[in-house]
Amino acid sequence: MSMYQNGEVDPAVKALEARQDEIMRKLYELKAAVEGLAKTVTTPDADLDLTVSSSLSSQTLSSAAFQGTTDLDSLLGKDHGALRDIVINANPAQPPLTLLVLHSLLCKRYRVLSTVHVHSSVADVPSQLLSCLGPRHEDSYARHLFQLGFTLIWKDVPKLQMKFSIQNMCPIEGEANVARFLFKLLAAYPSDPALATMVDSWVDTAFFQLAEGSAKEQAAVLRALNSALGRNPWLAGPEFSLADVACYCCVLQCGSASSAPY
Amino acid sequence: MTKDEVQGATEEEQQAQSKKGLKKQQKEAEKAAKKAEKQAKLAADQQTTEEDDFAKDQYGVPPMVQSQQKLDRALVRIQDLTPEKADQLIWLRARVHTSRAKGKQCFLVLRQQQFNVQALVAVGDRASKQMVKFAANITKESIVDVEASVRKVEQKIESCSQQDVELHVERIFVVSQAEARLPLQLDDAVRPDGEGEEEGRATVNQDTKLDNRVIDLRTTTSQAIFRLQARVCQLFRDTLTNKGFVEIQTPKIISAASEGGANVFTVSYFKTSAYLAQSPQLYKQMCICADFDKVFCVGPVFRAEDSNTHRHLTEFVGLDIEMAFNYHYHEVIESITDTMVQIFKGLRDNFQNEIQTVNKQFPSEPFKFLEPTLRLEFTEAVAMLHEAGVEMGDEEDLSTPNEKLLGRLVKEKYDTDFYVLDKYPLAVRPFYTMPDPSNPKYSNSYDMFMRGEEILSGAQRVHDPQLLTERAVHHQIDLEKIKSYIDSFRYGAPPHGGGGIGLERVCMLYLGLHNIRQTSMFPRDPKRLTP
Repeated sequence: MSMYQNGEVDPAVKALEARQDEIMRKLYELKAAVEGLAKTVTTPDADLDLTVSSSLSSQTLSSAAFQGTTDLDSLLGKDHGALRDIVINANPAQPPLTLLVLHSLLCKRYRVLSTVHVHSSVADVPSQLLSCLGPRHEDSYARHLFQLGFTLIWKDVPKLQMKFSIQNMCPIEGEANVARFLFKLLAAYPSDPALATMVDSWVDTAFFQLAEGSAKEQAAVLRALNSALGRNPWLAGPEFSLADVACYCCVLQCGSASSAPY
Repeated sequence: MTKDEVQGATEEEQQAQSKKGLKKQQKEAEKAAKKAEKQAKLAADQQTTEEDDFAKDQYGVPPMVQSQQKLDRALVRIQDLTPEKADQLIWLRARVHTSRAKGKQCFLVLRQQQFNVQALVAVGDRASKQMVKFAANITKESIVDVEASVRKVEQKIESCSQQDVELHVERIFVVSQAEARLPLQLDDAVRPDGEGEEEGRATVNQDTKLDNRVIDLRTTTSQAIFRLQARVCQLFRDTLTNKGFVEIQTPKIISAASEGGANVFTVSYFKTSAYLAQSPQLYKQMCICADFDKVFCVGPVFRAEDSNTHRHLTEFVGLDIEMAFNYHYHEVIESITDTMVQIFKGLRDNFQNEIQTVNKQFPSEPFKFLEPTLRLEFTEAVAMLHEAGVEMGDEEDLSTPNEKLLGRLVKEKYDTDFYVLDKYPLAVRPFYTMPDPSNPKYSNSYDMFMRGEEILSGAQRVHDPQLLTERAVHHQIDLEKIKSYIDSFRYGAPPHGGGGIGLERVCMLYLGLHNIRQTSMFPRDPKRLTP
């Protein structure tokens, strides 16, 4: 405060202020984007707000979040001429918001063939769940033109499930674990083990204590989020990470978004 | 010998004879008396019986129904016998499924198709001893008219479909009597394969069942299968009609083989010979060229293939689709797959009872599918098979074991029993298949699979006479023989595509059965022409 009294502002403070403003702007955008996506899956008759989700993707991708190129061959194994199709079985009672966010990020990065199916174990699925991956790609008649397949199947499953290579990989269960797998296609985990652990820890916190926790636990997580975001631009330090996506989606899902610190 | 002597002798003889005769007569008289007594007793007995049988008008074998009179009698269906009907007096007509006499009671199980109910005839003020005896002697599978009162039961009757009620019979008449010796027992015919061996009970082999199809079709399993099959046909018609398709009838006697010609039946046709149609394809395509836009047909298809497998018949019911499309043959795939999905959904939502009935005898996993249907490309299938360790060329057709394996791989990843494989190599498809626009090695053709077995083969057809001629020449086909086929495209033909499925095969695979003869009412194969 004394600095202002002098009538001149320390340039360091100015820079800090500018940076905070920038962070706040990005956070609001992220919030708007996730809300847009959530609206399409949780409220009836809402149309997919594509402008919001694409602004999210371009923002986050243009930011320095994704350093280094991630090579699909090294991540998913060699391409044998077939579409590398990621199959996600999700229960329509619990739409996986994080995966929808990650899907739109993947679409910015790769040529993704997105398809939504309804499994015969499920009778009726609201129409907004059928369009939650956006409109059909104009080239979708030719599967070989795509780098990656994202096949979402609404199915009567107790736990979200992902299948990729049935020969070499067992199914991955749980939204958090599938989110980790998908995020690795976007950006490598932080090379610093401490930082990587922090990201993991936040993801677990989001899914165990926010999404499934009691009101008390949720309140505690919200306080922790508040203080973490007070210290850093993103939850796990200077870079945007899966922790941010997971925490935001879970805040939204547990219904305490209004009291969130964002 | 003197006369006297003779006389004496005769007298003696006579005396002796008369003595003997007397004795005999006496005996006979006694016998007769005894007999008379017996007869009198019997008569008396009968009399008393007849007098005793106060219920003699309440049972019997009435004269054959020759439409003598039009009775205004309401008959109740067994499936409608619920506790709400308790204490009502009702009439019903049913078959005697089993009967079991026990002292003064006789338990009958009465059956109508897959529904059955327990009925009791017991000596009392409504039924006489004789009536119970009569009921107990009615042969299995006879048709009876029964008047009975509906009673709630305290303990559920586990062996019957109507578990909460039984019938107390007041009148019973035999409408049509079955012969006492049945060629097969219905209970044996529905016994699951393994169970019979374990418990030392009989099962009926398939040929016996097919030889006595009339009785075999009465079993709960057969009833369920063919009711479900009828629904498949109906759903096929309804769905396509709603999509704007027109049902057409095509000739079955044709002058030339539509595909190749090796597998057609020849029939004599006046002074020349003709063939039985092995596919309505040519006629479907002609209807498209005649501006019917979207057509389907349901009818018999004949294949003179001497293959005795679980899935080949020489005559089956073909469900065929052909449609003009606007810009891409995937419009055709989407129409066909959506029709299939509507059929699967209709069965899943309305035919669970029938499916469960069949499962009791032939257990199988429920049929799973995705909406919209999964579409994979041929190259992907080859890659999946390579990954699973199968060696095959990129342009090689799928062998039957590879199709099965692929079905398992797809099921494991996508958990669906129904999918489309698109973009087959051009080399393995018929000459009229449209080549792929970007890669001449592949074609705009597709197969559809249920539980890993092919049920439909289809493609965009070449609708340009020049390209069609080129393709035919490439396949070394005699152009003279297919002249009329090529000519039908000379006066403007819309781009079109289609495919055909076998009704029996769809039913077999939907239900997870292992022999197509189970889903063909009167199957025709190289070894069977009757019944």
